[in-house]
Amino acid sequence: MTSQSTDIVFIDSTTSRECHLFEFTSKLRTIMKVNQDLPHDSVNLTVRSVKSCTCSNHDNGDSDRNTNAPRKYSVLDEKALREDDTKLVRDQRVQTMSRSYEIILESIGEDPTRQGLLKTPKRAAEALVFFTKGYEQSIREIVSDAIFDEDCENMVVVKEIDMYSLCEHHMVPFFGKVSVGYLPNKRVLGLSKIARIVEVFSRRLQVQERLTRQIAEAIAEAIKPRGVAVIVECLHMCMIMRGAQKVNSRTTTSAMLGVFREDPKSREEFLSLGRINPF
Amino acid sequence: MISNCDCINITQGKKQNIFYNFDDIKKQEENKEILILTESNVDQYDLHNENRRQNISDDNALRENDTQTVHDNRLKTMTSFYKDILISIGEDPTREGLLKTPKRAAEAMLFFTKGYEQCVSDVLNDAIFEEKCENMVIVKDIDIYSLCEHHLVPFFGKVSVGYLPNAKVIGLSKIARIVEVYSRRLQVQERLTRQIAEAIQEAVQPRGVAVIIECAHMCMVMRGAQKVNSRTTTSAMLGVFRDDHKSREEFLSLARFT
Repeated sequence: MTSQSTDIVFIDSTTSRECHLFEFTSKLRTIMKVNQDLPHDSVNLTVRSVKSCTCSNHDNGDSDRNTNAPRKYSVLDEKALREDDTKLVRDQRVQTMSRSYEIILESIGEDPTRQGLLKTPKRAAEALVFFTKGYEQSIREIVSDAIFDEDCENMVVVKEIDMYSLCEHHMVPFFGKVSVGYLPNKRVLGLSKIARIVEVFSRRLQVQERLTRQIAEAIAEAIKPRGVAVIVECLHMCMIMRGAQKVNSRTTTSAMLGVFREDPKSREEFLSLGRINPF
Repeated sequence: MISNCDCINITQGKKQNIFYNFDDIKKQEENKEILILTESNVDQYDLHNENRRQNISDDNALRENDTQTVHDNRLKTMTSFYKDILISIGEDPTREGLLKTPKRAAEAMLFFTKGYEQCVSDVLNDAIFEEKCENMVIVKDIDIYSLCEHHLVPFFGKVSVGYLPNAKVIGLSKIARIVEVYSRRLQVQERLTRQIAEAIQEAVQPRGVAVIIECAHMCMVMRGAQKVNSRTTTSAMLGVFRDDHKSREEFLSLARFT
């Protein structure tokens, strides 16, 4: 499928509108990729309806709040927001963000020309790009070559995976540990791929509840096990450094799919094997 | 006397760390910007800093003279640039979870740098008392949360402060407040330690001051070298604590660092 219009412009895949971020490189033109793997919407898809072919994939899993229908696309096929970035695009992002950070430094009252702050806008911009590098990878390319056939019937638990994420409401870090367990159904997943799935979903602007759900669903869709359980226990800097300022409080969320949801014994076994110790 | 429409070259004024509302600035030439003063906005700009008190240790309270209007302008500017940052990341700032994020992030950043709004002499509030105390006073395990000035990422940990009074003692919570004022800024851990020690030195003139800070730096844990369990310790020893190793040892063992 190609765009019908003869004038091809860069369209920001998140908002389906011309991206003003790249005004000063108006020469930058690229053909917008159409996601070929779309399930249910293909009947309604025409060449003109550019909006409908991207809008369901960009909202970081948030869209199901607005519809009553169950989610129809799989987490594995979700398009990563920055997946198509070339080096040029990435450098432009950092440049724009540096300028924004410089003005933010001035607004705080600081002097961005003093020695300690000279390169801070650029460093802060690159740090933020690193903290959101989960937008650059899709799940399918992480897990697709690490699925093995194995006659394993017992629980597999990878516990206390360190996790660092950014609160999407305040853009302040939250961090903690994740324990993941699943009951395989003739197929197992490479162990480090579980940690990589956690990495990809956590290095984004996140809400802890959604993060937990996304990790569980990704593993469920990748290997179709009998059940998946995920526990995430975190410290939220937005609650510790500001706001309520409760220093020792931790937030725990969990996602239980399949057997873990129905059978309390399996759930108990996971909770004792994958317990997160105080950190 | 400011006339109805007066223009001032602000390139020199920038040294005073005054926040200029971008609407009031007009660019004249390449490097020259002019501040347009009218009757309505002249109160915002305290260009002569006449009311600045004597600060402790040359404390630079950069936002001390903020009026409500100036504060709102800061917030407005930061909100719009945080929105640009969200777009640059690749996210969609109009999705439900991110709608008010620029404003919240701007307010959070202003809160994390609220140490710029107070100078130490304000914070002390004259809580210095005459007391015949000759033995060490230690306030330990004060939680601090600061922002790394190089990456704008938090670092946090604990501070322990000790001093040997010389007929004057300081209110205990004022020590914690001094730590708060200096840590809620864009900081470097070494400078933070030194500033806390010097502030107490100047406030009470004790025989010696000791400050130890132990922090985890998110810029090192979440990115870069990615060393999860590593913590950085800095210390400042002034007066007796620098010269006499027995006092230093006593402080270190009372504050449980050995």
